[in-house]
Parts: sequence; C-alpha cells; structure tokens
Amino acid sequence: MEPQIYILVVEDELEVMDALVNDLEKFEDTFPVETANTSEEAKRVTEQIYESGGEVGLILCDHVLPGENGVDFLISLQSDDRSQKSRKVLVTGQAGLEDTIQAINNADLNYYIAKPWTREKLHEVVVDELTEYVIKQEYDPMKFMSVLDSIRLADVIRSGRITDR
Amino acid sequence: MKKGTIINDRDVTLRFIRRAIDETEELREHVVSFDKDEVLFEQGCNLHHLYLLLEGSVRLNRMNKDGTSLDLLTLENGHYVGLVAFATGNKSITSAIANEHTSALKIEQGEFEQYMNDHPRLSHPLQQLMVSNMTERFMKNVVLESKMHSLNKELEQEGEQLKKAYQQLEESHQKLVHQEKMATLGELVAGFAHEVNNPAAALLRSSEALKENFLNLEQSDPRAAIFSIGLDSEPLSSDEQRKRMIEIHNRFPWVAERSTIRKLAQMPDSAHKIIQENRKKIPIETLTQQFEAGKFIHNIQVASERIANLVRSLKSYSRQDNNEAEMMDIREGIKDTILILTNRLKFLDVTLDLKEIPSTCGKLGELNQVWTNIIVNACDVLENGGKLSISTYSEGDYKIVVAISDNGPGIPPEILPRIFEPNFTTKNQGAEFGLGLGLAISNEIIRQHGGFIKASNKEEGGACFKIILPVKDC
Repeated sequence: MEPQIYILVVEDELEVMDALVNDLEKFEDTFPVETANTSEEAKRVTEQIYESGGEVGLILCDHVLPGENGVDFLISLQSDDRSQKSRKVLVTGQAGLEDTIQAINNADLNYYIAKPWTREKLHEVVVDELTEYVIKQEYDPMKFMSVLDSIRLADVIRSGRITDR
Repeated sequence: MKKGTIINDRDVTLRFIRRAIDETEELREHVVSFDKDEVLFEQGCNLHHLYLLLEGSVRLNRMNKDGTSLDLLTLENGHYVGLVAFATGNKSITSAIANEHTSALKIEQGEFEQYMNDHPRLSHPLQQLMVSNMTERFMKNVVLESKMHSLNKELEQEGEQLKKAYQQLEESHQKLVHQEKMATLGELVAGFAHEVNNPAAALLRSSEALKENFLNLEQSDPRAAIFSIGLDSEPLSSDEQRKRMIEIHNRFPWVAERSTIRKLAQMPDSAHKIIQENRKKIPIETLTQQFEAGKFIHNIQVASERIANLVRSLKSYSRQDNNEAEMMDIREGIKDTILILTNRLKFLDVTLDLKEIPSTCGKLGELNQVWTNIIVNACDVLENGGKLSISTYSEGDYKIVVAISDNGPGIPPEILPRIFEPNFTTKNQGAEFGLGLGLAISNEIIRQHGGFIKASNKEEGGACFKIILPVKDC
C-alpha cells in the first residue's frame, strides 16, 4: 500500500486561503489538501501527516506570514529527509528578488506563482509538480493517470522504469 | 647722511656715481642705453654682467610654467638689475625689460673687483647701493611673506566657507530631489487611487447585484436560506477547520469526499441543519454550492471594501488635491498613515492611544510623511511581535504632542545627536529607504510647522520620538 500524498497550503489570509483551496478541489480525492496559516502550524501539520504514514507531495506557500516567513520555512524543510523531497512552490505577490533567489538557491524552490493567480496556471503547476514527485518516488503511475500528466506517466510505464509493481 | 643709518640716501649716492662717470672716460664707455620695451636680458640666461640703472626704469617679468607672465617688480635709477643671477651665478629667474628710455652702467663680472680697485672712490658708493638694494628687497620680501601668509589664511577660510556652502547646496539639492520624488509619487498615487476606485466600485456593485439575484428566490426555499447563511459566514482558521472536519465525519457519515467535508466544515451548524432536513429532497451538492456562492460573494465584498478603504486612505494620505495649510485633526492623518502601512505593521503589536487634541493649522500631507518616516524606521528595527505605540495628547492649551515609541534596540547614544542630519543613515546602501533623508526632512517639516522633534531612548529600552506642535489658527 502506497502512502497517502498530501498537498499543503500555507497562507495567512483566510479569504485567500479559501480561494486557493477551492481551486484545488479537483485534486482532493487523490491528494488530500491540508492547510496552515503560519509556518509554525505548517510544521505541526506536516509532522502529523508523517505520523499517520503520509507524505507531503507539494507545498504551496505564501511568503509574507506572521512569524517565520515563507522562504525561511521552505529552507528549514531542506534539513529533513522527509520534507526535502516535497515539491515546493511560492504563491505570493510580495517576495522580492532577494528572497526569491534565496528560495531557489537554498530551498530548491520548484516554481513561483505570482498573485493574483489563475486557476489554469495553478492547475498546470500542481499537475507538473505532483507528476514529477510521483515519478521520482517511483510510485505506480496508473493510480495517478486520471488527475496528473497522463502522457508523462504513460511514458514512464512504457519505458519500463517501474517494473516491479 | 642721516644719523643712525649706515646706508646713504640713494639719490645722493647716485649723484656721486654719475659725477664719477662723467669725469672718467673709461667708465663712460660702460654706459649703455635701452629704448622703451627693449630687453636687457631674458629669463633663463646666464648673466655675466650687472646693470646699475642711472636713468629711466626697468620691469622684471617672469613667465610662469602655465604660460602666464607676471610683472614682478619695477626698478628705478639707483637700483641694480640682474643682482641675483650675478651674485649667485645661477640662471636669471626673470627677464628685464626697459619701461622707457633707460641708461645704465654695465658692469662685467670679471671687472667688478677691478672697478673697486681702480676707482676706490667708487667702491664705497657701489657697495652702499648694493646693500641698500638688498635691504630693500629683503624688506619687500618680509612684507610679501606676511601678506602671503594672511592671503593663505583668507584663502583657507574662503575654502572652508565654500565647502560649507557646497555642502548646504548639496543638501538642499537632495531635499529638492526628494520633494520632487514625493510630489511625483503623490501624483502617481492620486492617479492610481482614482483609477483603482472604478474597478473597486464595479466589484462592490456587481457583488451586490449578484447577491440580490440569489436572494430573489423565495426565502422559505432552503437554497435561499443556506445562501444567506453563506453570505454572513466568516472564514475559519485552518486549525479550526481541521477540528471541525473531524466533527463532520461523525455528523455526516454518508459523505465521503474530502472536498465536500471541507466545505461542510466551513458551515455553521444552522447550515448543517438545513442540509440534514432536506437530505431527501435536495442533493447535498446543490446546497453546498449555494452556501459557497454566498461565501464567495461575501469574500468579494470584504476584499473590495478593503480595496476601497485603502484607496480612500491613500488619497487623503497623499493629499495631492490640497497641499495648502488647513485646520486639521492630526489624528486623522495618523490613522490614514497606519492604514497605508498595514503591510508593514501587520505583525507588530501596535497600540494607539489618540487622546482628544485641538485642531491646528498645518499641511496634512507633509505631516503624514513625518509619521510615515518615523514608523517605517521603527518597523525596520522591530522583529515580528515587536511593540509600537503611538499616542497623542495636548499640553496646556497651545501644545500638541505626538509620541511614537517602540521596544526595539533603541538608538545608540553615540549617534543620537546626529540622527536628524541629512544623509545620516544606519541602513546599508541599497536598502529600500536608504536615502538617509527621512529624519532630516521630518525635522524640517516639523520646524516649518513651528514645532520640534525630540528623539530619546526609554529607560526600559526602545526609542521614543516626541513631536511637539503648536496649536494655531490658519
């Protein structure tokens, strides 16, 4: 049995969080969405996910947060093997060039979505990043064909990279 | 011969020499004459003779390295010409040019001693003249030296004054540039605010219309009822939402999809009641959709109201329409400033204690700049959760005090006396607000309003800025 893969959203403005989560609805059946308003809460939530045997496949994170900011939070995830492999995306209108460079260099940032986002862009990024995650972790592609990038997943199956499942 | 002087009167000596020349054939042969502007010798040549001027005058001219020429000295009869080069054997440092028709006794180098021996009665007067020439030049030199000294002093002082004037010019230039920037920024903000107002109004009106469309349903209809609940609902924090999602599991065991559970978790109990009562008649999806519609319209309204508020503050903050002094309540400006700086103040613990103060005459836009400068400085040194407190009160009937203090690291005592100087900044170059003019300009603005700023450190730590303004009518 493969572990449950979660999407974690970190955003402090409740209305914005509402809109983000609503836009992620179509992924929820495969990738449950967890939410946090601060990076501290996010750390608690990820810990709970790990304890229940789950994994965090994708983190969508705002930059300006009360307490530790988004970029520092993403950097802190690099020191833990379990969270280091998570795909990381900044969703923000306020990260300056310096912060962004920091995130790319030190947090292995995978994508930057500027606010306001569009649903199409958000879906595209989520699909790309989770597809990458699933392939890297060598999980059974068949399970994700309906929600993720079916063409890339089919390629993986054809090339026989995953044979023992 | 004057008593007490060892040097004879030059004219007397000269007369004696002239007479000797008249009487001696050999000496007469050595008298040469020059026309006006004729050159006796050139700067830089080796002189093998010396002239004693008998009649007329000669100017000594020096060509400087930069190509300018300078008349140094005019020598009249009784003076030697070429004395320095002759005596030292060095190249002449000047040219000698006749000012008018001039005659002189030309004394060859080798012959000088000879003269003295051959014409013993000449030897004394010639020596006399030489000493008097030397003495005169030496005295001139002394006078020149002291003149030069005082000139240097003057130059130095003028240099200092120039430096100061330049500094002031530079400062006022920077202030002007800053003011210009602020004015441009103000215009930009006013224009921007105006433009944003339109879409914000459209948002507000459209969501209002949308709301009415939904509400047109019969109020007894559960769809209308649950929509209304959605309209009034406030979003939950993610923690609360998580807790409520667990409750939902028990309350709606027949709902499996996590996204639906999340939506149910956001609803108040009254909405759950409607869903449960109508479970058989209306699909749960329809009712959650209705609730969501209400919730999103609510979110649109909250967000567009926030835009409208920001725009309103931005407009009154920048006050482009009116930069005249007017009677005003300073507290309004402080409130606007705080709203404009929401983004910076969001994670600070801000305490406002704005006590009743009388209205006074001033420029609201400029004063807002002062509050902004001081508050932004505080934000820069405060960590998340830092304390900022702003208070206003009046002292007697004629003084208004605005106090802005924080619990940050305070101002190092060694720089405290300098913080209002232009270009004084502790921020790194390249920082966003690195001009170093903020406090200098604030100080200037308050001064123009007839008040003053006091900066100090509190005993319990942190910096405190007190702005004292007079109460006056326009």
